[in-house]
Amino acid sequence: MTKPTAKEIKAMADVAGVPVSADVAARMANSIGPAFEGFAPVAGTLPFDLEPASYLLVQAAEVVK
Amino acid sequence: MSDESALMSLTSVAQAIAAKHLSSREVTRSCLDRIAKWQPRLNAFMAIEADEALAAADAADAALAKGRSGGALHGVPLAHKDMYYDAGKVVTCGSQIRRDFVATSTSTALQRLKDAGTVRLGSLQMVEFAYGPTGHNVHYGAVHNPWNVDHITGGSSSGSGSAVAARLTFAALGSDTGGSIRMPAHFCGVTGLKTTYGRISRAGAMPLSQSLDTVGPLAQSAEDCALLLGLMAGADAADPTAASAPVADYMAATRESIKDLTIGVPSAFYVDDLDPEVARILEETTAVLKREGANIVQVELPDQRQLTAACQLVLAVEAAAFHKRWLIERPQDYGAQVLMRLQNGLTIPGVSYLEAMRWRGPALSAYLTAAAGVDAVIAPVAPVAAPTLAESDVGNAPDAEAVIQRLTRFTRPINYLGLPSLAVPSGFTKAGLPVGMQLIGRPFDEAMLLRIGAGFQRATDFHTRVPAFA
Repeated sequence: MTKPTAKEIKAMADVAGVPVSADVAARMANSIGPAFEGFAPVAGTLPFDLEPASYLLVQAAEVVK
Repeated sequence: MSDESALMSLTSVAQAIAAKHLSSREVTRSCLDRIAKWQPRLNAFMAIEADEALAAADAADAALAKGRSGGALHGVPLAHKDMYYDAGKVVTCGSQIRRDFVATSTSTALQRLKDAGTVRLGSLQMVEFAYGPTGHNVHYGAVHNPWNVDHITGGSSSGSGSAVAARLTFAALGSDTGGSIRMPAHFCGVTGLKTTYGRISRAGAMPLSQSLDTVGPLAQSAEDCALLLGLMAGADAADPTAASAPVADYMAATRESIKDLTIGVPSAFYVDDLDPEVARILEETTAVLKREGANIVQVELPDQRQLTAACQLVLAVEAAAFHKRWLIERPQDYGAQVLMRLQNGLTIPGVSYLEAMRWRGPALSAYLTAAAGVDAVIAPVAPVAAPTLAESDVGNAPDAEAVIQRLTRFTRPINYLGLPSLAVPSGFTKAGLPVGMQLIGRPFDEAMLLRIGAGFQRATDFHTRVPAFA
């Protein structure tokens, strides 16, 4: 998982239907980039059977305790 | 005399009204007097409804005279963050886009407080759509910190923090998606409770991120927060994510000793790069807790930086999804910073968002395992006391997100994990600015945090200090 470039961000914003200028795309790349970098150690490492709902199971287990 | 009842705690004033030692009108008048005095300086209120509040107070007094009590907060005047829908009232959400939005229903949290007998003073300022940690608002002006009006309140519950600190309201609802209750509690010197994800219904509260949003109170003390939580917590048919976990007797918890409880101080992350005064206050806080009988131990938590990043991915995508229509139709009506941060969410691939959501369970499990030997973890809310309004007014500058991330780096991991956290006033800097510490607990164990917070507040007076009107 790599930090997107301003050019990639511009393309993604266009696809999302909310076009942004090159200047705004550069600011966004600077803004959101660290989140991609921070999550990189986890991205692509999760086991196959893991669902988002596992969070609720872990939380509920605490209530049972 | 009129000014004095507004200085009472929520719990005390509710008891005084119930016992007819004070009337709701006297108390409401006292709050309105302070609001009139402080509002030009703080900009804490979005709307002040003096006449309606006094009429409601009179009705509450008349009901009490006839032996009819509305509940635990009968006749107590309160104001809340302007994002809780109240049928028939304008709810701006701090935005230009919703400047004239009139709610057609009432949020569950607010309704439960109304059912307890509260009187509405008006509504409180907030960051636009609750998306920002400083308290700036390009549409309605920044809210000012009553301890020094040149400094920020923190956000996004900026008006809630400022108004409770200045004793303009006995308590206020805030919301916490990335730190929005704990930041203003810390910067303004009040007690703020970020509840477990699902503990209080989100129905009728403006959404920002459905996976992270939590409802909670800001008030003078842990005891006051306990009273409010007990009234609001519990399942709600209108919000399927509101948990049916048993609601504890939070008030009883605040009366329990903290002797022999074990409180963990993280060995890393939350103690890194602290302002020296925040570091000093963390040490002093743990010393007080130790003196009160708690065991203080070091705890090694999993890497919190990844949690912060995951939180940012989830928040950005969910916020962008809520706002997509307005991002297309009304981009000019957003402030520059909020617009940029909402647009960020458009650029995160669906798979990345879902990876961040899938990791939440294992991340929570790893945290709970690491913290298994402690009753709570203590950490600073933020690495610094309140910066000035000028130095934190970053708009959409290239380093804006970096400034925001620095301020919220100790709060976001807790939102991602959905844990409860109680921010407690813990000291003051040499410049007279408050500093808060957060107690972080296990899911649905708010009672433990309120117990520790109340124990700390029995031994200290930081939560009772009131800023001077100088």
